[in-house]
Amino acid sequence: MRRTAHFPPVTVVVFHDDGTGQACDQWAQPGAWDNVSFIQGLQANLGGQVPRLLPFPYTPAKVGSLAPGSNREKAPMLYHHLDYLASYGLNKDDYEYCMTEYLRMSGIYWTLTALELMNQSSRLQKEEIIEFITSCQDNESGGISASIGHDPHMLYTLSAIQVLALYDRLDAIDVEGVVRYVASLQQEDGSFFGDKWGEVDTRFSFCAVMSLSILHRLDAINVNKAVYFVLSCMNFDGGFGSKPGSESHAGLIYCCVGTLSICKRMDALHADELSWWLCERQLPSGGLNGRPEKLPDLCYSWWVMASLSMLNRIHWVDKKNLEQFILACQDAETGGFSDRPGDITDPFHTLFGLAGLSLLGNTNIKAVNPTYCMPQETIDRLKLEPQILQI
Amino acid sequence: MHGRVKVRTSEEEKARKEKERQEKLKVFKNAMQKIQLKRQQCEFDKDLLELTGKVLMSNPDIYTLWNIRREILQQIKNINTEDDLTKVFDDELSMTEYCLKINPKSYCAWHQREWMNEIFIPGTIVEFVVSQCKSSLQDEFDYTTEKLLDNFSNYSAWHYRSKMLLQLYPDIEGGRPIQDIYHKHELKMVQNAAFTDPDDTSAWFYQRWLLGAFKSTVNLVLCTVTQFKTTIAFSKHVSYDYVTSKSRVIVNENVISGDWISLSGNNHDTLWILGHNVSINDDMNIKVEHNGNEKNEIISCFKYKHMTYIGKSDICFQNNYSHPIIEELNEQLKACRQLLVLEPDNKWTLLTTTIFLHCIDSKLYYQETIQNLQRLKKLDQQRAGYYNDLLTKWSIEEQLPLDYASKDLVFKPTFSEKITILPHLQYYSFCEVVDLSNQNLCSNILPSLIFLQHCKILILRNNKLHTLKGFPNIFLEKLDIQGNKDISEEELKHFKDSHDFVTIF
Repeated sequence: MRRTAHFPPVTVVVFHDDGTGQACDQWAQPGAWDNVSFIQGLQANLGGQVPRLLPFPYTPAKVGSLAPGSNREKAPMLYHHLDYLASYGLNKDDYEYCMTEYLRMSGIYWTLTALELMNQSSRLQKEEIIEFITSCQDNESGGISASIGHDPHMLYTLSAIQVLALYDRLDAIDVEGVVRYVASLQQEDGSFFGDKWGEVDTRFSFCAVMSLSILHRLDAINVNKAVYFVLSCMNFDGGFGSKPGSESHAGLIYCCVGTLSICKRMDALHADELSWWLCERQLPSGGLNGRPEKLPDLCYSWWVMASLSMLNRIHWVDKKNLEQFILACQDAETGGFSDRPGDITDPFHTLFGLAGLSLLGNTNIKAVNPTYCMPQETIDRLKLEPQILQI
Repeated sequence: MHGRVKVRTSEEEKARKEKERQEKLKVFKNAMQKIQLKRQQCEFDKDLLELTGKVLMSNPDIYTLWNIRREILQQIKNINTEDDLTKVFDDELSMTEYCLKINPKSYCAWHQREWMNEIFIPGTIVEFVVSQCKSSLQDEFDYTTEKLLDNFSNYSAWHYRSKMLLQLYPDIEGGRPIQDIYHKHELKMVQNAAFTDPDDTSAWFYQRWLLGAFKSTVNLVLCTVTQFKTTIAFSKHVSYDYVTSKSRVIVNENVISGDWISLSGNNHDTLWILGHNVSINDDMNIKVEHNGNEKNEIISCFKYKHMTYIGKSDICFQNNYSHPIIEELNEQLKACRQLLVLEPDNKWTLLTTTIFLHCIDSKLYYQETIQNLQRLKKLDQQRAGYYNDLLTKWSIEEQLPLDYASKDLVFKPTFSEKITILPHLQYYSFCEVVDLSNQNLCSNILPSLIFLQHCKILILRNNKLHTLKGFPNIFLEKLDIQGNKDISEEELKHFKDSHDFVTIF
């Protein structure tokens, strides 16, 4: 059963196969969508075509510009995404859901953040999630696991912290324990293990400084050494890989630039060279790839754009073309975003699609902070001020 | 989560697939339950190894299961013979190979291999065998040459080559990253790649790096002393330790003692403010000293007006290449121009020609580079923002030496193209009047205005500001922000109210 909430009326639009839309003269209350006879009546009026919804701020005038023949204009189908995201975890026997138990904590973070960006985080069960997180903290190490029965890890410790920060419930866990866990994973050379088994990766440097900064406990690690290690991963192109000597990759670049942003050492970047490498990720389709000669993927729209935002050079990318690519990755039937048009959607890409649109200035979505990938208002509430380069 | 195409299926197909999945799920859940139970009961045996192996072969990313395997392997290591260990090692390696075939990016599987090498093998015969296989740096470098000559479109090869080049052939005496002869050779190699296939991007990125690989220094460029404030500016970011130990302000032959504060409050910055107790009058001899890594600089400050002393160093943004490299660049420029005739619309050829011109002699070729950038904006529209900023930066660099030679306290860009950013603003921190009217500046430049520490009149009339958010705390007398029509009335009023010590219009 669809949960209802109080929203303003919506515009009824008919979407054609090529993605163009045509507005109808009708308005509808969201609740009407559950009313079968109302839908049937609409369908009859529209000559049998299946009507869809456009998000509330769209007026018939705006939608008029989506007349058939207009150049594949697609609107963000926020309603569809809301329902798609809100269903996360509802069916505990869902195949995908069960098979991804090993990343559950991150799945919750992606879903909750995406919903919060649309001001609908209330669609998830807050208390249930907080209790789940509490039971995932390992008392001995202080670290937090992806799910019950799984081992603690830096990645899921961060996701847990981010979720609790969104809920303003950091008190729900043993904060000292988390601080102890993260600090214990820092090595002599400044790098961080992912867990006690010793994998080193700049992703974990990012997780470490992000977690501790949210808890206002950066004092617990050696920040200078952490920065030093990240800088040792800088490559000829100004980019970064996962370890010293590893090739540059947009995802790792985001992690390293993010680390330097939190540690206020973005001065050490080769900003012009790196930003140029990043803006060269944009392909003629408008989408972004992760490194030269590779295919575009929606999640790179986040890794690359967030990095460029921190570097204050988001204008080095063609925003309109990128927006079109992001919108084309939506699925009008199931809701959510996928890695590229036509693929299956998932919460991971849905978050980065929405966050990417937010960075591009979409006013129907809340402002997102590029360093933390959390709503800017949450970052303001936490009184965090990650560095953005001057230009 | 990546690359799964959505395929339309019939209701029948859907139902069949769902049934299949539910069965798989049942098996999976049973296995996971069994595994958890055995682990809880500390049964780290071959059985558990097999159980976890089965699950991992369809789901290689369940990191906890790899943890359990490591727990088992550690136990096995302690109680088994060398021969048995070799088999165990081989089996585990095969497992990771199988998993990597399913998911070549599985961090877990890769890490397991690493862990085997670092933790599991040491002290065993396998370690000896592995250690015999390491190749030398030179061999690896030659390997990349081989790979590249075979196919230049190999970003990985260029990447590894860059690392090895720096390790094998640094110019320690000359203080350059690469010895001339090898630097030249690399430039030729890139040229080769570019002529073979101008559309392959890998070589171009490597070339950009080669062109940026020259000796660079930090210079103290400016010192401004007034009755209100004493500031010094560097060409690059320096740390607090650097400033305190390597620079000093000298008034009437006495070194001023005081506290250095960075403009941003961060540990690294380009502009530093000296907090001190010396009262400034109109009859002083002021100098600033910088013990840079290369040489000592002493800059004399001259009185520009009442209670205002300014010392500027000689400015030159020209890249500092050695003679052999300049020769090579000139040779290649000729070739580039030829290629450009054949392919006038190839963005990479045009961009490279432009970069070469700028690197060889930015002053001589200034007009041509500006024209090229304007053309690139049309040719490579998606990156118009980049070309605009580059145009601005090169124009400011052209202008700065002239501004530094004059005795004006004014910064007013007057280029044929409107500026879009404010690079090198620390160089202009001494100016009292900053006229940025009729340009293309957007609100993202506002935080940079904090560099204008001695500014009294700031003109931002007729730009593209859409908000005043981010406007820094600077003490202005007059501020002109007319002609920025996207700033809301409400925001303007609020801004005026909170800045009532300034005349704003």
